[in-house]
Amino acid sequence: MNEAVFVGFVGLGLSVTLHIIFTAMTLGAGLIAALYRWIAYKNNDVWAELFARKAFKVLIVSELFSGVWGTIITVFLAGFFTAVTTLATNTLFIPISIAIASIMVRIPAIAISWYTWGKISPRAHSIVMWIMALSGFGIPFGFRAIFAEINHPQAIGYYLQTGANPGWMAYGNPLFWTLYLHTVAAVISTGGFVVASLMALEKDPRGVRVGLTFGFGLLTAQLLFGPLYWHSLGVYSPLLYQAVNSTFLPIFAVKLAAVVALLALGYTALRAAKAGSIAPHVKFLGPLALFVVALGEILNDGARYPNLVIVGDKGLPADLFANFYMDIPMPAVNMILAFLVLSIVVFTTAAFYALYRKFLAEVPETE
Amino acid sequence: MPDPNPLLPVSALGVYFHGVFISLTFGLPVAIGVMLWKWWRTGDRDYYRAARLMTAVLGVNFALGAITGTLVEFGLVQIWPGVNLAIATFAFAPLALELIAFANEIAFLILFIVTLGRVRPPVSMAILALYAAFAYFSGVLITAVNSWMQAPWGTGPVAKALYPFMPEYGPTAVDVPKLVAVKLAAVVTGQPISLIVEKPGVAKEVGIVLKDPMVAMYSPYALASVFHNILAAILIGMAVATAGWAYRYFKTGDAKYLKIVKPLAGAFAVLFVIQAPIVAHFMGEMVVEYNPTKFALMEGAEKTFTNPILGLVAYGDPNKPIVGFDQFKQACLSHGNKTVGDLAKALGLPSTLQLAGKSIDLSGVASVKLADLCLADVQRAEAYMPLIHATYYTKVAFAIIGGLAAAVLFFYFYRVPGLSAIATAIAKLLGDERRRVFILALLLVLGTVIPAVAGWAVREIGRKPWTVYGLLYPSELVTPVPYATSPGFLAVLYLIILAVNLGGLYAMYLVATREYKFLELLKRGVGQSP
Repeated sequence: MNEAVFVGFVGLGLSVTLHIIFTAMTLGAGLIAALYRWIAYKNNDVWAELFARKAFKVLIVSELFSGVWGTIITVFLAGFFTAVTTLATNTLFIPISIAIASIMVRIPAIAISWYTWGKISPRAHSIVMWIMALSGFGIPFGFRAIFAEINHPQAIGYYLQTGANPGWMAYGNPLFWTLYLHTVAAVISTGGFVVASLMALEKDPRGVRVGLTFGFGLLTAQLLFGPLYWHSLGVYSPLLYQAVNSTFLPIFAVKLAAVVALLALGYTALRAAKAGSIAPHVKFLGPLALFVVALGEILNDGARYPNLVIVGDKGLPADLFANFYMDIPMPAVNMILAFLVLSIVVFTTAAFYALYRKFLAEVPETE
Repeated sequence: MPDPNPLLPVSALGVYFHGVFISLTFGLPVAIGVMLWKWWRTGDRDYYRAARLMTAVLGVNFALGAITGTLVEFGLVQIWPGVNLAIATFAFAPLALELIAFANEIAFLILFIVTLGRVRPPVSMAILALYAAFAYFSGVLITAVNSWMQAPWGTGPVAKALYPFMPEYGPTAVDVPKLVAVKLAAVVTGQPISLIVEKPGVAKEVGIVLKDPMVAMYSPYALASVFHNILAAILIGMAVATAGWAYRYFKTGDAKYLKIVKPLAGAFAVLFVIQAPIVAHFMGEMVVEYNPTKFALMEGAEKTFTNPILGLVAYGDPNKPIVGFDQFKQACLSHGNKTVGDLAKALGLPSTLQLAGKSIDLSGVASVKLADLCLADVQRAEAYMPLIHATYYTKVAFAIIGGLAAAVLFFYFYRVPGLSAIATAIAKLLGDERRRVFILALLLVLGTVIPAVAGWAVREIGRKPWTVYGLLYPSELVTPVPYATSPGFLAVLYLIILAVNLGGLYAMYLVATREYKFLELLKRGVGQSP
């Protein structure tokens, strides 16, 4: 693997991991916010209104930044891995369209939800919030099909053999549904833990309890979907499965240990929350859940190295799909990576002020 | 080749909506900055409130700009996957730098929003300036990519080889035989370029196509386009902001709104003076130089004609004729009996290409006459003449209206001996002060939005029949996926685009005009008295 391809591979992996971290926060927090906004409207519940608004802050701060990394992924893919991007767009047209349509609905719905909150009728606002929350799950419904295909190229294989577009075939990929359900449970669980952490900082025991209910509840669901996905990798993508269980075993072990810690700490925190108190470790559960998400993505993507696509027990190296149409200027690429790190610093500062210092006003127009 | 025609309007719709939001994204920071400046200098919190309200609108607008940008980006990659070859070569540097711009743009916007009102005005202004700098840098880069499609800088004489009336596009930074081979492979197989590019290993097989990855960044066409497009966007955003506040003044008669309109109108007029006579002129010169067919379409030059004013503006020589399609056709005929095969031979291409594991026999197109190809494309371009000519002069007319409105409003607010008296006399024709300020502000909107809409139409449609001017047709870049042009997919696409964008525009209106109704509920919730 030459330097440009290696940097492309690592840069792509970094972008995907950061994107997934922020996405996990936003999808889960968005669902919780929509649910409690609806409860507030139905029951005229002031606490639920405030809680929904606070949960939504997590999403508001992180969503656009998650979107940025989504864009960065696209540029990395098209710029560094031209063939695989073109092949995916020509083959997985339907899943990608579903993801794009979902993004198109999701992001404006977020901005509209935030800025029209209290300016339109609660019922209309609740509907916008549900559109916002549910459209978010359409994004992995599209993009996870790509991940399933590069681990087990069923639809792409059909396309390359016949030249015919496989249409919906990607959804018949045996890896897709376990990966998707795994993702859905993970993002709701992560969102719940992040919300619980924020509510602990806000010293809101009821909010902590709600966050932990989602966090811990969906984490237990992961006890089913996680091993199922792992097993299906063993059957349909043995090369990736072997890499996870050998070269990447230390990371896998750390991930499992973190999940066990999250389960144990989540359980004790939930018991305390049900008793009306906030366990001191709750504020660390959100970061711990995000750490688990990051490790999971590193395993799912990094374990493919040096391959970009896995076909059973064979790997198709990244070189096969890489951009050799020009000598990629590496100093420029390194400078770009440095600036991306700067953006992470600036964003983290903004997020700190918004969430921890409560700089994102509950009621934006008041002074 | 697949038919790209059903997808062109939907792409245009997406681009236009993106343009609407980008204009506000570019213009609102200037308007907000002006308000922050006034707040800092006067301590008057009306300016702060105005800045805050416009920031809320900017928040919704930015989300819509980002999402429509994503749509355009995905549209490029998915609907027009042939451009992946450009993304891997000419557009690589601008798009890679765009990552810096976009990531920091969002990071600084969020920082600005969460700290506004919590830090001193100069700090807010500095953060806003950093956000705007990255936003404009993003505009520079995307304009550079678009400009490359208008004038494919770095391809040297490639277009001229087929169309003798074309100029050379900068230094020859490409491997001409390889570029032509890929193009011919698409023509011979009747397949879009993406079906070649998608094959694993084909990039290594083709090898280096572009020798200078930065070449698209130093195109003179891009330089003029950057200033022209970004200033136009800023002016639209400022005009909309000015008109919004003027409308409030019109409805309420409250002097605090007039206080906000005045500095916005002043800043607008200054920028307009830079845009209309200076930057727009340089842009026009670039079109004259690098898009001969587009210039002829703009001027309705079916036949070459002389017009001293046009000649002076376009060429700096009143006696020089405006080159028309008759001369382009003559130039095509200068190919004589030369064929595609002759061109391929001159470039050292074999009669059978080995590409992506396939043998591609060029003999099918080798006998095609270059003159016939050239004439066919010139005629296809000429078919757009009524549309482009009318659109261009509509643009010019409304730009003049906008300029006059800006001048009247400026001299109405800021006293300049002589000029202010004339401006006041004109303004008085429009009714009382509330009415005249609003009408003039509305004319600013018309005088910026219509020229921009028409200008983009001229820019994009005017380069037809090519997507990459003189090099590639839409049919060579379009997706080969049959679903893309199915009525169902197109209907859903239109529906989503319209619903999201119109909903977003309405949301911006709500944000700008409605008071919060739930303050009491929230205050009660946090233990305060309502």
